[in-house]
Amino acid sequence: MTTHEPTRRNLLLTAGMAAAAGAIPGAARAADSGGTLIWGMPAETDILDPHATGGWDTYQITYQIFEGLVKEDLTKADVPTPPLVPGLATSWTISPDGTVYTFKLRPGVKFHDGTPFDAAAVKFNFERFWDESSPNFYQKAKSFCIAYTRWIRAFDVIDPMTVRVTLTSPNYQWLRQGLQSYGQPLMISPAAVKQYGNAGIALHPIGTGPFRFIQRDHGVKTVIERNPDYWGRKAKLDRVIFRPLQDPATRVNALQDGEIQMITTPPWDEIPRLVKQGFVLSTNKNVPYINFLYLNMKFKPMQDVRVRRAINMAIDREGIARDIYRGTGRAEYGMLSPGTDAYDPAFRSYKYDPDAAKKLLAEAGYPNGFKMVYQLPQYGTGEVVETWIQRNLKAIGVDAEMRKYEWVTYMGLWAKGMSADVGMNEIGWGMSTPAWINIVVSCSSWSPNGENSGWYCNKQVDELLDAALKEPDAVKMKALYQKANRLIMDDAAYVPYVDDMQPVLLAKTVKGFVNPPEDWFDLSTVWIG
Amino acid sequence: MFGVSVVVFLLMQLAPGDVATALLGPQATVAAKEALRHALGLDRPLPVQYGVWLTHAVRGDFGVSIATQEPVMDLVLPRFLNTLVLTFSSLLLAILIGYPVGIFAALRSQTVFDRGAMAVTLLLGSTPPYWLGLLLVLLFALRLHWLPVSGMYDIAGNGGLGDLLRHLILPAITTALGPAAIITRMVRASVRDALSRPHVRVARAKGLPRRRLLRRHVLRNALPPVITITGLQLGYLVGGALLTEVVFDWPGLGSLLYTSITARDLPVVQATTLLIGLCFVLANIVVDLINVLLDPRLQEG
Repeated sequence: MTTHEPTRRNLLLTAGMAAAAGAIPGAARAADSGGTLIWGMPAETDILDPHATGGWDTYQITYQIFEGLVKEDLTKADVPTPPLVPGLATSWTISPDGTVYTFKLRPGVKFHDGTPFDAAAVKFNFERFWDESSPNFYQKAKSFCIAYTRWIRAFDVIDPMTVRVTLTSPNYQWLRQGLQSYGQPLMISPAAVKQYGNAGIALHPIGTGPFRFIQRDHGVKTVIERNPDYWGRKAKLDRVIFRPLQDPATRVNALQDGEIQMITTPPWDEIPRLVKQGFVLSTNKNVPYINFLYLNMKFKPMQDVRVRRAINMAIDREGIARDIYRGTGRAEYGMLSPGTDAYDPAFRSYKYDPDAAKKLLAEAGYPNGFKMVYQLPQYGTGEVVETWIQRNLKAIGVDAEMRKYEWVTYMGLWAKGMSADVGMNEIGWGMSTPAWINIVVSCSSWSPNGENSGWYCNKQVDELLDAALKEPDAVKMKALYQKANRLIMDDAAYVPYVDDMQPVLLAKTVKGFVNPPEDWFDLSTVWIG
Repeated sequence: MFGVSVVVFLLMQLAPGDVATALLGPQATVAAKEALRHALGLDRPLPVQYGVWLTHAVRGDFGVSIATQEPVMDLVLPRFLNTLVLTFSSLLLAILIGYPVGIFAALRSQTVFDRGAMAVTLLLGSTPPYWLGLLLVLLFALRLHWLPVSGMYDIAGNGGLGDLLRHLILPAITTALGPAAIITRMVRASVRDALSRPHVRVARAKGLPRRRLLRRHVLRNALPPVITITGLQLGYLVGGALLTEVVFDWPGLGSLLYTSITARDLPVVQATTLLIGLCFVLANIVVDLINVLLDPRLQEG
């Protein structure tokens, strides 16, 4: 999880493609397939061991190489949330009390090193990231996978093609929780772990996915190629090259020059110009990502709900979406991120009304407003949205002094929870499971056990969230989350303002790309044509 | 060098932000973070950590990168070589421009050439390399399509010297211009100073041919401060080419230092900074040696 940093080539491109095509000896290029996709990423990824890493940048790569028992189908764009589909398990059943999951494994699947996938392999993986009593246990993996493994009570092999996991209590979001971008329970080849050691998987990431790993030149490129023995629908691309280009200007230049064919997190003001030049803008309105402020319940003025509501009314969300995000983000009024089963795009809370906000502030005893500290991470491209928010607040008399911190420093402060002299901070986040909201608003998520950085606590909300986890019926589950959402916004301890539609800029030759309601992509549908 | 190592070690420890939180992300439990810190050896007392690190470092073992789990030396050495390629090319360019222009300007003092050269060097010396680099990319890569935008080799290609040289041109020019400006001014000042010395006037009066005058009496005396400055430029370039490396995505030591600081990758930061410090020290030693060779007065006995 990170926040996004707000964000003629034909000769070279044809030459590059001709070279790539020529590299396949004797093969005539079938229509609708082939090519090398070069993706200019905003950051270098860390290690390619899915159990022991936490960055969604990294997951962009490991998603292509590794699979879990269950997958999210990222080949569909026009759905509210990615459908959960069979992966390395062909089917699964959940016991009536919601605690026992029985998975039937897919037969005939091999890891990229040729070793077979079976119940023994699944057992090995579970031992690596969960079972502390096993010799295969890897402490680092457990640290990263904790959000998934804390629910597991037992793991059993039933037969060579069936495994069973027993949870400590019912949790109908558990499968989704295993598919978010922190440590993931994806299947790694046990033979590879035995041969290269736990730390060696980072350089030998061997999974079962539609692409397999070729090479990594840290800071320069990571290369994967099509897996011709993949059990499912084969990838179309021959190769994908992930190229970290941290500087946004360099990313844009490289795209224009044809050196790369795809960039993510483009600078907002470059998008219209590049679209005019013929590049394709791809977005998805259901990407699970919202930007929001935490209001600090320990800061005296914020302890009055009228002040918090006034701040919610003072922010011109539609203006931010229109003038800054320019169509790559929508105004957000609630704390459930898009991209989940529980999201309701029609949910509304506070309208933009600075006059009413000023009245409320006066009622609460602040007719002349007040001063406060606004903590935020420093963005390389300037703090455009934050300056807008500061301006909105000034208009109702609230003087927000911005204190900017370098990213890792900020993460530490945010995770620790705000001190009483700070008024508010911010983050951009979300997941395709609505259970994400627990980490942000629950009473039990106060530091150090979660990221409830503003010390909010409402027992009624927590009861609703706990009930929602245990609710197998999708309609009832959504109703519970929405009820909680309404309570949270009535308490106004958070100020959601805009979601992010994950703009991706592609060269015209990139075909078949799908921008799903998720923070990463399935590249097996893409080809260069 | 010992001083450098201590400072480097302490500075990183003092930097706010915790590696475990940075690595594990927001949903980690306290126990998980403690376990990771223990696994990385970060919970031991500082002097112990420093001692352990030092004993390994002197044997060339800088440990394993926290971010990538590769041995640090495997990460740092190739980057170091890449930076050397860029640094030496830039320095060469800077010398090839700076020395002749500086000498010429000194000889044609107060003429249009001299004034023009000084104005240009002032401009170039004060221009931010980041901005200049982008400008060059805009012209030569995007407009004219003569040169690539970024990187050291063609990403989808197979490398080779021609590919490298093509990619080297813009970054080398960008990095060279600042030092070239400084060297030009230094050379000019030094040569002018040498020209005005009494022994030169005497030699001129004696009718010594111009070239011999230049070589024997002027340049040999003008060189020492120039060599010193050039050597310092080299040391500066090794670490200071950071901005160029970022703009051109040149995989060198500067960009590695930047990413490892932001990732709190302590072993890599320590090794990289030490290496840069070492280069500075070595550059100074070489410069001193050259000066000794040039100036008999510095040779003892």
